[in-house]
Amino acid sequence: MNQGTEGDSQGGNPSAVAPVPVRFTGSGAEYFGIWIVNLLLTIVTLGIYSAWAKVRRLQYFDRHTELAGSSFDFHGSPIKILIGRLIALVMLIAYNYTVRIQSVWTLAVVGGIGLIMPWLLRNSLRFRLYNTSWRGVRFHFRGTVGRAYRVFLMYGILSFITFYIMAPFMHQRVKAYQHNNTWFGNTQCSFHAGVGQFYKIYLLLLAAAAAFAILAGFSGVYGLFIAATEAQKHGGRVNPYDTLKAVVMLYGITILVVVSIGPVFRALMANLIWSNTRVGEHRIECNMSPRGLIWITVSNLVLVVLTLGLFIPWASVRMAKFQLEAVRLVPAGDLQQFVDADPDQVGAVGEEAASAFDFDISL
Amino acid sequence: MLTADYFDGRTTRVRVVRLEVDGGNLLITGEDIDRRVPVTEVKVDERLGRAPRRLRFADEAFCVVGDLNALDALLSSIAHRDGWVDRIQRRARFVLLSMAVCAALAVAAYRWGLPWAAEIGAAHMPAGFSVELSSQALKALDGGILLPSRIDPDRQLALTAKFHALRLPEGGKANAELLFRGSPQLGANAFTLPDGRIIVLDDLVTIIGDDRQILATLAHEAGHGRGHHGMRMLLQSSIVGAFLAFYVGDISSLLAIAPATLMQARYSRDFEEQADGYGAAVLKLNGMSPGLLADALDKLSKSHKETAGAGYLSSHPATLERMRHLRSL
Repeated sequence: MNQGTEGDSQGGNPSAVAPVPVRFTGSGAEYFGIWIVNLLLTIVTLGIYSAWAKVRRLQYFDRHTELAGSSFDFHGSPIKILIGRLIALVMLIAYNYTVRIQSVWTLAVVGGIGLIMPWLLRNSLRFRLYNTSWRGVRFHFRGTVGRAYRVFLMYGILSFITFYIMAPFMHQRVKAYQHNNTWFGNTQCSFHAGVGQFYKIYLLLLAAAAAFAILAGFSGVYGLFIAATEAQKHGGRVNPYDTLKAVVMLYGITILVVVSIGPVFRALMANLIWSNTRVGEHRIECNMSPRGLIWITVSNLVLVVLTLGLFIPWASVRMAKFQLEAVRLVPAGDLQQFVDADPDQVGAVGEEAASAFDFDISL
Repeated sequence: MLTADYFDGRTTRVRVVRLEVDGGNLLITGEDIDRRVPVTEVKVDERLGRAPRRLRFADEAFCVVGDLNALDALLSSIAHRDGWVDRIQRRARFVLLSMAVCAALAVAAYRWGLPWAAEIGAAHMPAGFSVELSSQALKALDGGILLPSRIDPDRQLALTAKFHALRLPEGGKANAELLFRGSPQLGANAFTLPDGRIIVLDDLVTIIGDDRQILATLAHEAGHGRGHHGMRMLLQSSIVGAFLAFYVGDISSLLAIAPATLMQARYSRDFEEQADGYGAAVLKLNGMSPGLLADALDKLSKSHKETAGAGYLSSHPATLERMRHLRSL
């Protein structure tokens, strides 16, 4: 809506090249066929096919994403993804097993996973970027292992011991690590958003969460919980009806928070991060509407539930289209002159292990 | 004739080219390009929706074709055949069939596969793991929802002695440890931990009163222990939870939790029936009537009338039906 004014206000570029929008041309109906066949083959092969399914899914989305008339492509090998998945599975089982029984081994396993996680995350970035291309030129990730440990482990511990006061700082450092070390061919990307801008969004989020907490207070949900705890303390029986009412209300408020604050936060973050990323001299602009993202998130959620999951392919396509088409490239010159860098090979272990632990660092 | 974008694989330069087939060769002609590639060396990407398809050559160069129908015509002239997955995923008939098979497999897995896997898993679970798990759970409950028992210690010992005197159908005597606890919240209840230990709550003892009927309830609980029901429930809910997190994980993990809990309902019913059967067998073997368990259930159900929802019977469905069955034995 305000794309025009946005472009004008930032017009520090003398050579007025028109912004190039990203287009997503996938359709839910088409993707449904791919998705259901992937699902079936994954089930009948007891999960082994999921690596091939993932390649096909990423190819579907990348090849339907178009910039300046050319689509992206994904080149990852299913075998590498499968090996990565197996390693992730072993880690997941070890983690679940030891966390349940809590012994000396728990500390060893959790510590061990914590120690290799930065390395895995860095490798997953390398694998994902190296296997993504546009017009035949591949992306690369050149972040060092040392820096990965500093950003993910050291800042992670730092944000934990400061009760997450440092979390926005860590977030900024993670994004800077990701984007400053991303190369498109031999062109380096750069990241320009400061820590202050991250804190601003987090504070906004915190204020919104506080507003919801107050709203919950007015709704009387705390009263019900206090009554329950009091009754418990005095050895009395808790009225199960009140407990149920409190739980339902709490659930309602939680869902409200998840579907409103979550998308607003994601939209504001995406706008901040991508609008402050450059590919060489070319700027990126991201204008994702928070209200639009709330609508997509809520309607997807409702339809997926009502269709017992059959809507998932349409939901994925709608979400991808909405998010990708919020992005535009503002070229500083000719887009035909990117040159590929020397090829290097990376393993898929990192990416798979990271995704199995649901470590979303939202690329 | 077919137009395509040609890329050399090293730069982002776009060259518009024409593609033609000449005998066993693909001809690529356009700006600065005049290539002739044997069709056997051309790799064709699978068709994914309406995404442009790529024809790849050995040297990393490739052509991107947007006109998929014209490309199909060209590919058929060189006898190219798409992969089988490629073909089935865009035929409505196979897509519908896949959907039906997925649904049937999901139902079968839930109805038979999951209980079977959990049963095997629970039977092979190292004993140390069950004990450790149960101790952890007990530690979390004690001081929270569970309070020290107010039942006279002599009564506790007497009940334990009587329970341990029960002979079991599989041979030997009942040896599960009884843990007496009080809990105003849980009311008249008894439950079995994954390692077989039985938690007996004060209200259950006071409301049932009669020792033989209490023993009948304990025999029922021993049935849960014998069938590893605790561990099986745990495994089943872990598997269902993991699957739902995988299936709807992209949408919201919040959604994954609720159905996992709901889906447990029918298992607990199956387990109750098994435990009743085992309890009845124990009672008969020790010269007591299975009707004792029905009497105990009757007392519990009457005591719970006023506090609907909370307690023993909420986790023990269809009580009337069970009582009728037990009395018929």
